Amino acid sequence: MPRKKESTLRNCIRELRTATSGMTQQELADRVGVTRQTIVALEGGSYTPSLTLALRITKVFGKTTEAVFQLDE
Amino acid sequence: MNAMEKVAWTELVVCVTAVASVTLLLPWLGDRATTGFALLGLMVFSTLFIRRRGNRVVVDERDREIERKATSIGVSSAWMTLFLVLIAATMWSGYSHVDAVPIRFLNWLIWIQFAICYGVKGLVAVIMYRRQHAA
Repeated sequence: MPRKKESTLRNCIRELRTATSGMTQQELADRVGVTRQTIVALEGGSYTPSLTLALRITKVFGKTTEAVFQLDE
Repeated sequence: MNAMEKVAWTELVVCVTAVASVTLLLPWLGDRATTGFALLGLMVFSTLFIRRRGNRVVVDERDREIERKATSIGVSSAWMTLFLVLIAATMWSGYSHVDAVPIRFLNWLIWIQFAICYGVKGLVAVIMYRRQHAA
């Protein structure tokens, strides 16, 4: 029986970060309260953030959640 | 490499070193080779990596998630080892008509379980960090 493919969460954090006056990964990490490696994992798409972290990131960029995170179905 | 990844590597390396030293000591010391498991105590020093430096975050939600999954798999592995060894001991007891196990057998079992728990935990955490970095 074929299994339904799991949805993945895409994001455009890298694009927004570089567009926002060239913010570094460390600066973003410090502002949202995580390590730089977590930002690397987020930008690489290998880590799905918690709702709290996702909301903190969208707040930094002043965007809506849908503008930063998209469900890839 | 972040702080928790260093902790995972420390746990893995210490466990492998302890098991290797016990294996090397076994021909000379016999059952007393379990003293080599004392090296597992070196894992205490891994806490040095998670000291807070300034206002920078050292451990975050991703680390906690990996730690939780790795601990779960490590503890499950240790329990599974216990069950399988006890089943084997019970079967051996029924086969050989010996109704008791020596205390040294339990001593080995406890130390091996301890090493498996932390070794598997460290290995799983290292693999999870490597996978996320590679993606």
